[in-house]
Parts: sequence; structure tokens; C-alpha cells
Amino acid sequence: MASVALKSFVGLRQQASTEKPHYFFTSQSQTKPPGKLKFQVLASKSSPRLTNRKLRVAVIGGGPAGGAAAETLAKGGIETYLIERKMDNCKPCGGAIPLCMVGEFDLPLDIIDRRVTKMKMISPSNVAVDIGQTLKPHEYIGMVRREVLDAYLRERAKTNGAEVINGLFLKMDVPKDGVSPYVLHYNGFNGKVGGVGEKRTLEVDAVIGADGANSRVAKAIDAGDYDYAIAFQERIKIPDDKMAYYEDLAEMYVGDDVSPDFYGWVFPKCDHVAVGTGTVTHKGDIKKFQLATRKRAKDKILGGKIIRVEAHPIPEHPRPRRLLGRVALVGDAAGYVTKCSGEGIYFAAKSGRMCAEAIVEGSENGKRMVDERDLRKYLEKWDKTYWPTYKVLDVLQKVFYRSNPAREAFVEMCADEYVQKMTFDSYLYKTVAPGNPLQDLKLAVNTIGSLVRANALKKEMDKLSV
Amino acid sequence: MSISLALFSPPTQPLSLFSSSPSKPLLTLKPHLSLGPSKFLTTTKASAENGAGTSPSAATALEIQPDQKVAETPQQVVQKGESSVGANGSAGAVEIEEDNVLSQFMDPKWVGGTWDLSQFQKDGKTDWDAVIDAEARRRKWLEGNPETSSNDAPIVFDTSIIPWWAWMKRFHLPEAELLNGRAAMIGFFMAYLVDSLTGVGLVDQMGNFFCKTLLFIAVVGVLLIRKNEDLENLKKLLDETTFYDKQWQATWQDEKPGSSKN
Repeated sequence: MASVALKSFVGLRQQASTEKPHYFFTSQSQTKPPGKLKFQVLASKSSPRLTNRKLRVAVIGGGPAGGAAAETLAKGGIETYLIERKMDNCKPCGGAIPLCMVGEFDLPLDIIDRRVTKMKMISPSNVAVDIGQTLKPHEYIGMVRREVLDAYLRERAKTNGAEVINGLFLKMDVPKDGVSPYVLHYNGFNGKVGGVGEKRTLEVDAVIGADGANSRVAKAIDAGDYDYAIAFQERIKIPDDKMAYYEDLAEMYVGDDVSPDFYGWVFPKCDHVAVGTGTVTHKGDIKKFQLATRKRAKDKILGGKIIRVEAHPIPEHPRPRRLLGRVALVGDAAGYVTKCSGEGIYFAAKSGRMCAEAIVEGSENGKRMVDERDLRKYLEKWDKTYWPTYKVLDVLQKVFYRSNPAREAFVEMCADEYVQKMTFDSYLYKTVAPGNPLQDLKLAVNTIGSLVRANALKKEMDKLSV
Repeated sequence: MSISLALFSPPTQPLSLFSSSPSKPLLTLKPHLSLGPSKFLTTTKASAENGAGTSPSAATALEIQPDQKVAETPQQVVQKGESSVGANGSAGAVEIEEDNVLSQFMDPKWVGGTWDLSQFQKDGKTDWDAVIDAEARRRKWLEGNPETSSNDAPIVFDTSIIPWWAWMKRFHLPEAELLNGRAAMIGFFMAYLVDSLTGVGLVDQMGNFFCKTLLFIAVVGVLLIRKNEDLENLKKLLDETTFYDKQWQATWQDEKPGSSKN
């Protein structure tokens, strides 16, 4: 399955380069790429050697993407600047990280507040299915506090030699040729809380935009827009006996009342739960959806106090342009959030690291200037490695979040052990694992059966008028 | 619910909270609040410019009516830089309370979170049609009156306990009859038409490749296009399957064919 998906992807790309791009943009995304820019044809091998200095790269944004990128750059011997506007930022976030992230990024275990090993999926008619029985004892989904994770990654970047600047990126002067530096304009805060900050500039040779969903770097390179979901979340402190139920369990509620195209969730955090929901198409009704989510979870969060309300946009797909010249986007700024689950932390960190690795390699550890082609290698690698994951999740979303019958079928399918095993394997290790073909076939038949039954019931429901 | 959204405040009061915090939010939130407390501030573009740029979530976060009970909790003053919605009082003191009106799905045959099949007996056998009807009624009820999911009364009904032939008999067969009828009518008419136009009889038609193609198209058409809307739906489905791919490909459109290595 994975190889078939890859073949079509590459093929499309090769033929697409000769076609006009205009029909790729729907009515929703208004920007077209400007007329073909003149690319400096500079083979990276003959890129000018930098004399007397190392390559300078700025990473804008100090979240998981920025922290990971800065660390890799600094380790690779590049003069790295990490610009973050708010050092104690509590980014509103689900906070779930897969198991592989702990290993790949050497995260200390005390960063993880909770290990979720059980999940409950709840259908529109409240059929509840427990998943997680197939998890091995060492497997879990880590729940983290973003402020803790982000700070840790930034600290590590700093210890490796990156310079962490507390500042707000404003704009960037793009150079006309391939060797002049990018001039970044930012407000430096000097670590002072309060105060407007003073205008400063910074000259760098390359920029990594890791500044999140409302990325300014993306704006600076005219990266285009993406569709985004609004995720709305309330942090609720519930009584201890109810909290015990959520010790290592997270819940997912699906239904038209909770969200027309996403799901509502109850995720346990350090000492409270986060109850939230999201939507792409009906952003104006988000409060209604949140009330419905709370209603569905009411029994389990009774007596709880809302301690914080937060919301944030979540990109639905990558921006039309993720790279221009020596500026690349990573993480949420690029739009690397999966469909269906809305997962973004791991992909942000991984893309930050991958982009940094491409820069380190292209510059031969900071000795040469990089050019667009070196950065494109990161895009190639990224698309090749993770495209199957994104596509599979997209298909799942299209099939199972379509309508209430589809969601009922979805929850029914989750009861199947094979499904659970495949889901967790691909989520925890971020590989689309090819399963046993016979069981895949059985799964396909069961899925179709569930969908048919649920849709048949829906037809009956439509005939009724209760 | 017990959120008190009824309290409105003059815009000046919230601003006094901000004086103790970094003035960045002051610059951002001042224009927001002056628009009126009940305005939604969602922007449609994720890349919208937002003032001094702090708290990007503020630009797209929903501005809920600021409730002035916020004054007590210092927690919100610190955190409101991140999300302006945190500043509203509904965050401070709202509790999830028990609703006095409990509307729950009740049915004598619905026992212990599933349908009690022993109550559906007819002539010594389970009346599956009645089970299907009952489940449809339950789901319809829940659609209109969503209930809380409870750990004490978990719902464990699985539609796969209803045997496949019950589903076939009730849903597949009538539709199959309909579609077969359409196919038969179309087939008869087309066979007659082709015969009268070309003189090729039915048996000879079946041997001809072009006629077989027409037959295939007719069968597929009858299967896929059952209502007028289906034509549009099919086109949309086709677009949907490739839309995501196109969004991912978009970044490669910029690249000149020459500068691409592979």
C-alpha cells in the first residue's frame, strides 16, 4: 500500500512540473504564486566557501520545531540564532506525543506528565469502545505540557551553542542574489518583561520559519494560505475521584453535535483535564460544539471548574509554498498537521530537525553557503518519508468523519483488535506498517459491513420522525 | 449550563487589567476590545497580520463576552497574553453542574446498555426487523437529544449481532429489485434500439465489443447514478480523492524543471 502511494506521488510531481499550477488553487486559497522567479542556478558543490566565518542561520519561533532545528544546526557547527517572542509561552495544545518522539529526541521521562495507555472512543449514540489492550507494557502516548517541552528543547539548543534571543520577529529583507544575507528585523525584549522592546536587526544567510500557524516568515516569503481548523479547549479541574478515571485514559467523542468534521476530546493533563473540540467548516458554532462536548462528558467531569479557556488554529494541509530561496518553513508554519488526529508536535520537531540536517549537509557543517536546492532536499525527504502517513490519515478522515453513520462505523471498527494494533503501531512509531494481507482483507470486509449497516440504520432514522 | 455570559462591561475595565502586563497585549487587544465585547474576531486567513503580533491565538481565538468576574484571579492576567479568551470570567468561576432536567433514552427493551433480544421474540425467533427499528429510534432520539456518556451505564450494543441476512432482506433486496428493474428496462430498450438501427440481433450484439462496452456503461450507470444528485456527488468525490495530493504538490510547482535533480 505504501509503495503504491509513493509511486503516484513521484509521478505526479514529475509531470506536474511542466503543467500550469493555476488549477491547483481552489476558491478558498486566494494566493497564486507570483510569476516564476529567477532561480540562481548554483550547484551546491560550487557554492562559495565562506571565509572567516561560519554559516549563519536564524530559526524564528522557539516551539518544538524551532528548538529541534536550532539544536541540530548548532550541533552541526552552524552559527544559530533562535528567536522566540515569549519564553514562558503556554501554547494551547492537546499535548500528546508519540512514543517514538521520546526516543528520537532523547526526551527525559520527567517531561512527560502522564502516560496514556487507554483510549475510549465514543460514538454519536454513545457506544463506547475501549482501545489500548494491544499496547505492550512499555508503549504509551505521552502527555506533556507545552511550556515544559518547549523550554527543554530550547535549553538544549542553547547548551549546544545556539543563541536564544527573546524577540518578536517583524519582517525580513530578502536579498537579491544568492550570497547576500537576509536582514531580519525584530523587537528585542532583553529579557525584560514589559516594555515594547527595541528594534534590532540581524543578518543571517538562511532562515527557518518555525513560528507556528500564523507564521510571519510564511507571509514574508508569500507562502500562501491554508485551510485551518479552530481548536477550542477548556482546562477543567475535576474532583480527585473523577480524575482517577483519567489517570491514563483519554477520550475521543465523535458526532455531529460535537463537531461536523473533527472530534471532541478529553485529555488528561498534569492535574486537570482538557476538554475540547475543533472544526474547519463551522468555526462560528465552536461554542455550541464545546457545550455539546461538555454535555457528552458531563457525568465524568461533574463538579469540575474551568480554569482556563484557550483556542488556536490548526493547519489542515501544507502551504502552497514551503520554501523560497534560503528560507524554509517547518512545523505548523508549513502546515504539517495530520488530518484525522490533528497531530502536530512530533511532525513539527521532526521537520525542524530534517530541515536543519539538510542545511548542515548542504553547507558542509557551516563552511559553505547554502542555496535553495539544499533546502529542497529537506522537502523531498520529508514528503517521501511522511506522505503515506498523511495520505492514510486523510483517507481515514474522509471516510470516517463524513457523517454520523460513518462515525458509528468508525467506533465499531475500533473494537477490532487488529485495527487497534495497526492504529497504535502506526501512531506510536510513525510508520505505515503493512499488515497481514488476510487480516487486511477481513478488515476491509468488516469496514464495509459496518458502513453499510450504519448507513442502513440512518435511512431508517430518516424515515422516522421522533 | 451555568456559564454566566450575561455580564457585559465597558471596554475600559478590562484594559486596566492589562496595564500590569507587557504592553504588547495592550497594543493588540485595545483595538479588539473597542470593537465591542460580543464581536467574534476570527479571521479567515491564518496568515492575517495581527498588530504587534503577540498571542497569535488571540487573533483567531474567539472573543467571548468579557465577564467581569475575572478581576479576582491573577492567573488569567498572566495567561491572557496567550489567549484573550482566558481573560473572560467564564474561565474563573464556572463549575460543571448537574442539570436538573435529565432527558435520557428510556425503553423497556433497552436493558443494561443494549437491546434485550429476549424481548424481541416473535414466533419463537428473534424479530430482527424490530431490533433494527428500535436501534434506529434510539439513534434518532440521541441525535436530537445528545446524552452524556456514562461509565455507570455503558452502551455496548453492536450492530453486528444482527445477522447479515436480516440486513440483506430489509435493505439490500428492495434496492436490488429496483436497480435490476431499471437495468432490465434499459437493457431491453437499448437492445431493441440497436437492433432496429443496425439489424444486429441480441445474440450477435453480445459478441460485439462496442455493444459490450455499452452494456458495461449501462450497468455502471444504473449502479452509481440512482438520484439526480449522484452525478454531482460522484464528480465531487473524484475531486476529493486527489485534492489533498494537489495541496501537497503545490510547493513543487515553483520549481523550474531544470533545477530539479530527481
